Amino acid sequence: MITASQLTKWYGPTLALDGVGFAIEPGQIVGFLGPNGAGKSTAMRILTGFLPPTAGTASINGHDILNNPDDARAAIGYLPEGTPLYPEMRVEEFLHFRGRLMGMTRPDRVRRIDTLVDRCGLQPVRRRVIRALSKGNRQRVGLAQALLHEPPVLILDEPTAGLDPNQITAVRDLIAELRGKHTVLLSTHILPEVEKTADRVIIIAGGRLVADDTPTELRRQVAEGSRVIVEAKTEPAELESLLRQVPAIESASAQSLGGWSRAAATPKGLADVRADIGKLLADKQITVREISRESASLEQFFVQITDRAARARAEQAAAEPSAA
Amino acid sequence: MNVTLHIARRELAALFVSPTGYLVIGVFAFITSAFFLLTLQPGSAAEMRNVYTIVVWLLVFLAPAISMRSVAEELSSGTIELLLTAPVSDTQIIVGKWLGALGFYAAMLATLLLHILVLTLFAEPDFGPIVTGLLGLLLIGGLYLAIGVFISTLTDSQLVAFLLTTLVTGLLAIGVFLLAGWNALPLWLRDTLFYLNITDHFSDFAKGLIDATNLIYFLSTTALFLFLGVLLLGSRRWR
Repeated sequence: MITASQLTKWYGPTLALDGVGFAIEPGQIVGFLGPNGAGKSTAMRILTGFLPPTAGTASINGHDILNNPDDARAAIGYLPEGTPLYPEMRVEEFLHFRGRLMGMTRPDRVRRIDTLVDRCGLQPVRRRVIRALSKGNRQRVGLAQALLHEPPVLILDEPTAGLDPNQITAVRDLIAELRGKHTVLLSTHILPEVEKTADRVIIIAGGRLVADDTPTELRRQVAEGSRVIVEAKTEPAELESLLRQVPAIESASAQSLGGWSRAAATPKGLADVRADIGKLLADKQITVREISRESASLEQFFVQITDRAARARAEQAAAEPSAA
Repeated sequence: MNVTLHIARRELAALFVSPTGYLVIGVFAFITSAFFLLTLQPGSAAEMRNVYTIVVWLLVFLAPAISMRSVAEELSSGTIELLLTAPVSDTQIIVGKWLGALGFYAAMLATLLLHILVLTLFAEPDFGPIVTGLLGLLLIGGLYLAIGVFISTLTDSQLVAFLLTTLVTGLLAIGVFLLAGWNALPLWLRDTLFYLNITDHFSDFAKGLIDATNLIYFLSTTALFLFLGVLLLGSRRWR
């Protein structure tokens, strides 16, 4: 449905996107993650035909973005970053204008706008001037605009940026409803949002694709090798030295916590050391109230993997100082 | 064509709700009316020529004020991204923007109909020069607005667009005439500069003449700037 291959974009001397490629199946919701400046918006702008790639190509719904831009664009509903809208227009008026640009007939527009105003919760503000809308409502107008012509592909650049938690939930639910009907590529900083809605996560950092997998699989990768928290009825120093006896533990540190000791142990590599710790403490007849792996979130993974990418780039830059 | 008109319609509506739009029409109506009343003396000719002359000068500033927002505002607010990712061509966007501005300008010119009405109530004016004069004003406006839309595509600052456009309209209205009088310039350049002078091309219209050379001057230069605008917008896509 969306395929990108070797997308590369130079802004003058700056490399914003470095050979990014992926293929997204119909009906998938894909989260597009990366730190600021990673190239998310650039990639999305290339897919929507707003920017041409320096090298590489992409196709939307089988239409090449360079050779067949009008068909490719017609297949996309796009919410640009920051939701730019015409402030002087009324909500309904704006949606009609967008519909006309998309070549929709009047009965079509009326039907779709009625549906979308309901679905996006715009009923109370449908006759309001966009300038007077809250950030959340503007975002809904942006989404309604993207969905208007029932595009097979939706590209949403930070649809939840700047919203409060309730509004984020509402937008997330709305996007989840699109599952199966539309192919969705959405970028965001907010990881839990992607964990809940996306079937797949693509992470880019420094213009390169650094991960492409399901949220569950990515979370599993983080869980492996994450620290283990132990709380036991003993002195911190003793708990520390006990933990260090476990062969698979790299390091451990403990502190007292109201009569208990709380320790964090880092395993060697990807080992799961929980059972070893449990057995050890049971042998020593020490009362234990918690042995757990630190909650593995995509957030940590994100930090790890983007750090790794940044380091790799720095090393590469150091290795070839005169490349520029 | 349809899409062009939809863009033009939105442009026109945006101008009519903008403070700039009201200010432009207000200034135009105030100055032309004041001038009309001052020149309306017992015994003077029942004609619009004096008012038209003032309009030609006013346009140097007012046309850029109408066109400055057209693309610059889309660039600064980011709405250009929605426009360029819709299945719409660069020509449709530029021509639509220009037509919208032209519609607004036509509405502004329509305030002059009131003066013409007053003339017909109290005298028997010669309608020939009045109508051709209006046509001439429409052509000058069309050219200025095409220049303005082109320059508005250059920058995301409306102020910069306004000032640059005023520079060009000012050159066409008087600058080239002054330069053409400069002896140090080669003759062919002085002739060209003199040919570019807008007031000269307008004076025939004010007299009631529709000369093909004047029509060609306005239509070709307008088309040229619209074409340049389309190219420039296209180059923005490819930057």
